[in-house]
Amino acid sequence: MNKWNMFQAGILLLALSTSCEENTVDEPEIELQAVTVENLHAPGDLMDRSTGEITEVRPFRYFSLEDNKMVESREGDWDIGFKGTTLIVNSGSSGPGTAQASVVTGTFDEISTVPSAADFKSDGENGLAIPTGSGNGWYNYNPSSHIISPIPGRVLLIQTNEGNYAKMEILSYYQDNPPLAEVDPMTTPSPYFTFRYLIQPNGTITF
Amino acid sequence: MCRINLNKNRFTYWLLGCFLFPLLSHASDPICIRDQAGNPIPHAYVKIGPDKVVPVDRTGSFDLPDNLEADQLIEVFAMGFDARQIRVREISELSSLRLTEKIGQMGEVVVAATRTDRSLEDLPMPVTVISREQIQETGGMRLSEVLREQTGLQVVSDHGAGLQMQGLSSDYILILLDGEPLIGRTAGTFDLDRISVTNIERIEVLRGPSSAIYGSEAMAGVINIITKSSREPFAASLESRYRSFSTMDLSGEASFNQNDWSVQAYLNRFRTDGFDLNPNVPGNTQAPFQATTGQVKLGKKSGKWEFRLYSRMYREDSDNVLQVIENGKGRLADMSSERRDVNLNPTVTYRPNEHWQLTLRSMTSLFETHSLTEMQEDGFVVDAQDFQQRYHRTELQLDRQLGNSQLLTLGMGHLLETVDATRYEALNRFDAGYLFLQHQWDPTDKWNIVTGVRGDLHSQYGERISPKISGMYQISEKFSWQASLGAGFKAPDFRQLLLNFNNASAGYYVFGANLVQEGIERLQSQGLVQQLLLDPSQFGALKAESSLAINTGFRWKLSNDLLFQGNFFQNNIFNLIETAPFARLTSGQNAFSYFNVSRVRTQGIELDWTWRLTSKLQVSAGYMYLDANDLDVLEQIDSGALFRRDSENRTQRVSRSDYGGLFNRSRHSGNLKISYQEPLSGINLALRAIHRGKFGFGDVNGNLILDDPSEYARAMTSWNLSLSKAFSNGVLLETGGFNLLNQLNQYEPSNPGRTLFVGAKVPFHQLVNSK
Repeated sequence: MNKWNMFQAGILLLALSTSCEENTVDEPEIELQAVTVENLHAPGDLMDRSTGEITEVRPFRYFSLEDNKMVESREGDWDIGFKGTTLIVNSGSSGPGTAQASVVTGTFDEISTVPSAADFKSDGENGLAIPTGSGNGWYNYNPSSHIISPIPGRVLLIQTNEGNYAKMEILSYYQDNPPLAEVDPMTTPSPYFTFRYLIQPNGTITF
Repeated sequence: MCRINLNKNRFTYWLLGCFLFPLLSHASDPICIRDQAGNPIPHAYVKIGPDKVVPVDRTGSFDLPDNLEADQLIEVFAMGFDARQIRVREISELSSLRLTEKIGQMGEVVVAATRTDRSLEDLPMPVTVISREQIQETGGMRLSEVLREQTGLQVVSDHGAGLQMQGLSSDYILILLDGEPLIGRTAGTFDLDRISVTNIERIEVLRGPSSAIYGSEAMAGVINIITKSSREPFAASLESRYRSFSTMDLSGEASFNQNDWSVQAYLNRFRTDGFDLNPNVPGNTQAPFQATTGQVKLGKKSGKWEFRLYSRMYREDSDNVLQVIENGKGRLADMSSERRDVNLNPTVTYRPNEHWQLTLRSMTSLFETHSLTEMQEDGFVVDAQDFQQRYHRTELQLDRQLGNSQLLTLGMGHLLETVDATRYEALNRFDAGYLFLQHQWDPTDKWNIVTGVRGDLHSQYGERISPKISGMYQISEKFSWQASLGAGFKAPDFRQLLLNFNNASAGYYVFGANLVQEGIERLQSQGLVQQLLLDPSQFGALKAESSLAINTGFRWKLSNDLLFQGNFFQNNIFNLIETAPFARLTSGQNAFSYFNVSRVRTQGIELDWTWRLTSKLQVSAGYMYLDANDLDVLEQIDSGALFRRDSENRTQRVSRSDYGGLFNRSRHSGNLKISYQEPLSGINLALRAIHRGKFGFGDVNGNLILDDPSEYARAMTSWNLSLSKAFSNGVLLETGGFNLLNQLNQYEPSNPGRTLFVGAKVPFHQLVNSK
């Protein structure tokens, strides 16, 4: 089964808040920590390869960013769901909640605030908040090597059910987060998501 | 001397502004003009004094008239050879006179560059000629093995042995056989292994875009394969090579020339066991295959008329095993494939006088492939693919010589093409018409200018105008500078227009541009479309890929025995066609089609240095520097929007210095060749080192571009050696090897490692004659 791991990423808000003024008194800041989740197994539907028909529909695996744990049912308090390469958020067509997501470009560490241009969406008829398909959302599919790789520089911003903002980066689609060079798409087990995220519990847009 | 001449291959006294020296009285025995190997040169001529010209006879001999002053200067000319001056006093003591071939094939006639016969040294664009001797020296059996040893050319394995020139791939290189285009490409690649080399007389390599005379595909350059035409009354020979991997090549040739008739027949049989670089995976890296090539050339001259009928057929069968993985279990399947290629090329030439030439020619080709993949266990057909392409071209060319310094060429043609394939719907037909005009002009002795423009009108991609201008300035006898500026284009290929593909297991669709409208309507009616990603008005409007290129360089003949050449090139390519998603489907997958999206720039320098140390020993060296970039990637990098992952999957921003350009391009490549020829003993030795610098093989770190050291295949040098001995009766024995140091690279699947060969050639007509 899945194992959970806390990861000291040490993102210091202090470093981000400018303190050039002589007289400002540093307010006590809470040091936000990035959490890394490893090997979240979320197999896709089974399909007959020759006809393309789905022979067994598998459930999404639901995850709560707020609680850093799996949620058993679609009706529960989850934020993001995984199945194969598809990522959903708990809203609209996907769930009863109000979670939303936006995909932005940058490195995880340098995204210090939710950009005003970020376009938060719910899942709906016109597509998922995190678009599916190679190159559209979080992953690239390399047609010559058949490897699924998280697009470097794509950061998912998620507004949780509780309304807090989180930033999230998918690190790997393969078991034990191997370097991509070591992935053999035929033999390396997948999909096993490894991702890291950082949540701002005070409801503001800065991380 | 005048360089522009319609009838280059004929005796050209009239051009010199001279008159024939009539009835000559004999003063001495005939003098024979020979090349360094001792063979007579029947096309030589001798100039005595300012205005007397004597041709040599069929045996290369001429008689020196008497009553000449002893210190009278005599000049001997022959096309392809350095002219030689000698005094009567000296010559009368000789029975033969040897000429030295122009270095670097400078004297060779090139057809491909202007569609008229011109000497290589007079062409204002970068051209090289690979001679019969050089082809023989490589010891190769297929065309890929000859071309990969040339400066600036790479052979890249991608659905066959594809050529790469000036950093552009096989898709953008036109391949001609005796001046007529060859068809049949798989995923854009023209497989050079389809061409056997034993009946090739010479190969012309024209760099830079030539769409101004050839239209589509001639964007990076043109390869013109010229097959042998014997002038002997009768000739027949058998030639065979055998090498590692049970590879066998057997060729027979026979030719006949009489009463202005000529017949030439050629048959080649090739077989190989293939090889396997990765024994852990079922199936061979290169499948075993057998191929048969046949060619018949008929010719008849009749006064001002000349008729030719060339025909060629090719058939290839291959078998391989592959592993099909289903639900994690591997099962073996047999794959068999067949390729056929037939073409027929009649030509009529009419020369009413020396100022006019009319040529009517056509090329009719058929290219077919069939492949079948069946499970070994139960014979279940995994895949069956058929492809059939028919091509017909008719062209009329009119050449008009204006004075001694201008040659005007007007061409017009019609092209009809059909394609029928498993993955395309119905039978598809394309029509095109074109017109080209070319002006060759020598305004002064030092200047040499070729301008051309071609207009194409195509049923598929509309009209295109492709201009080109090339100029050369002869700074001195020894040094000339040239520059050419030209436009190239490549029409969308069948797959980009017609593909109708549905990957059932992955759930995505790919539609050719012609089918995208229809395809999207069908998917919409089935309720499969979630969102259109592009404006529907963009659908189906696929334009030709186009380029603008400059080539500029020099030819520096430091002496008759030392030649240094250089060329800088830059190709700017717009509207490159790539797949892009146009609709998101409810399944979460995408529907793709082809769009003009990318921009690419390739630029670099090619340098060639040829040095004849003695009449027996020649050393040459070549080098190419290449820089090939996707301009959109550069733009993304500059705006800080391109990232990559390190070995721990952390994200970093990509900088310009990380970017290695396009995949499969070596920044540095080169060759060193040493050739030793001993005319008396017939011994010939050729040692070549062919270097290919490191190149990117594919993406490893997830951003689909070349930017990480782990994405490069290492550089390698292949040492190749050929040794041969020709006997006086014409029999030739040879041995040698490729890649003697057995360097392997898993990213070069066409390189089997060390390969050794033996061969023999038996010319029957010479054996009969020598008895």
